[in-house]
Amino acid sequence: MSITVNGESRVPPGFRFHPTEEELLDYYLRKKVAGKKVDLDIMKDVDLNRLEPWDIQEKCRIGSAPQNDWYFFSHKDKKYPTGTRTNRATAAGFWKATGRDKAIYGGVKRIGMRKTLVFYCGRAPNGQKSDWIMHEYRLEESRDDGSHSSEGWVVCRVFKKKSHYRIPESSSSKNTSSVAGAAKTKEIFRSCSEGTLDQIIQFLSRSCKHENEFPIVNPILTDGGYAVTASRGASVESQAKLPPLENPSAISLPFDCSPHVGRSSYLQDSIHVLLSVDQGYNEGPEVNDWAALDRLVASHLNGQSSCPEQAAFSFCPTINGLLYGGCGGDSQEYNPADMNLWAFTRAPDSDSPSTSRRQSASVD
Amino acid sequence: MGNGAGDLPPGFRFFPSDEELVVHFLHRKAAHLPCYPDVIPSLDPRHYDPWDLNGKALPGGNQWYFFTRRALSRVWASGYWMPTGVEKPVTSAGRNVGIKKYLAFYAGQAPVGIKTNWVMHEYHLLDCPGGTSADDSGWRPSKTSGHPEVDFNEWVLGRVYESDFGSQSSFYDDGTELSCLDEMFLSLDDLDEISLPK
Repeated sequence: MSITVNGESRVPPGFRFHPTEEELLDYYLRKKVAGKKVDLDIMKDVDLNRLEPWDIQEKCRIGSAPQNDWYFFSHKDKKYPTGTRTNRATAAGFWKATGRDKAIYGGVKRIGMRKTLVFYCGRAPNGQKSDWIMHEYRLEESRDDGSHSSEGWVVCRVFKKKSHYRIPESSSSKNTSSVAGAAKTKEIFRSCSEGTLDQIIQFLSRSCKHENEFPIVNPILTDGGYAVTASRGASVESQAKLPPLENPSAISLPFDCSPHVGRSSYLQDSIHVLLSVDQGYNEGPEVNDWAALDRLVASHLNGQSSCPEQAAFSFCPTINGLLYGGCGGDSQEYNPADMNLWAFTRAPDSDSPSTSRRQSASVD
Repeated sequence: MGNGAGDLPPGFRFFPSDEELVVHFLHRKAAHLPCYPDVIPSLDPRHYDPWDLNGKALPGGNQWYFFTRRALSRVWASGYWMPTGVEKPVTSAGRNVGIKKYLAFYAGQAPVGIKTNWVMHEYHLLDCPGGTSADDSGWRPSKTSGHPEVDFNEWVLGRVYESDFGSQSSFYDDGTELSCLDEMFLSLDDLDEISLPK
């Protein structure tokens, strides 16, 4: 029996298909895996490689009422014959996992997992993120009763994200400072240990809550193409979003705060601190490093009215390195010392003339 | 009382739009027309409270739906409903077909009751067809002309819920929300949009 008979919907007015996650897994997906017919044929099988998200709504319509989300079964095809990764590319783009998988419980028992995916138009790694989101539910692989696996079947819910949390950002900051910042902080966080990942997430969660109030700092964590949970222990990257280049006050922070500091000694200090910080991350960072990062963030949030304490102070040249190292032409070696030299040779260019003179004098 | 979904498979729930409530349910109730599915019960709420509608009114999500006679709709067992002053027109095909009024429940005797977080949306059919706007004319079906005894103000349709999470607008806020963590990871993914200079 179908959900529509002679074009007439069998769903009475006022009713919507709005299943709980437990119903999706425990009723619908279990039935599918067992090879049983699903009532009213409300969920179709969809080949995700052949269907674009904007075509799903036509294919997965339930009744005649307006819908905000669509449900279907999908069979996970392997990207490579021997691998475990799933191929989710379509003609127009691809689905990419984001975040952590969430456990779904039926009562107190875990019955499955939910993966969140975002549709990108184009081809990786240059896809353009869209507002199409998919929740992909899979049954727990090994069941207590010995029956095994869901045979590659998953049940999916697709919907369009409401975009009301996005922060408008200028293209200039995205194209310049973000690029360099991303590159550098990728380095910094490359070898974070697994325990650190949780710290990062906690840190980012905290920052996330305040992102509307403090749009200057918008740390970004990504996973190099796959869900963080899927690659725990692998690379974790973060990015501190920096003030636009046009804002020289932030850049001149070290000099404004301590004009008496000679450049060479200051440079040595900062290189030293930078190296030790990098070393710290490589060796399994503890809370101290996070405290330093917090202070860095705080120093940027609080502006330049007061002289920052030592840790934040020392971090500032690193930030300059982030800003200028990446746009400095040929400097593609991410040697921390080089980055810092770039910072100090380039930063004053956009600074006040007096500062520039002071810098060039002390360099020679 | 069940969920009213009859023989529909699991996952179907009552999440009506304002338009469906007025056009399909309230209008048919007022016009004594048969209603399929006949799922919304009629209540005399004078002996009920908002928190014990379970099993008496039609549930949909964490909200309850019922018809009641307009004259009885405001004073309940332990308190009374006060209009908040907020009203919204309900439209269908570009015409005003009804009004949605927002009320708050006060425990105790009027006018000194204590405000609770229970909320009612009270749906009314428009008083006079063709009254407030030119668009209204012609909506009231011609059936009514043959039934002068039909009083379109006799019944109202109530939707009651406890507002512990701020606004609740039934179906349309559901399903398309991401968890805070999901939102965070999505914003973090923006880094992938940046390609490094070669």
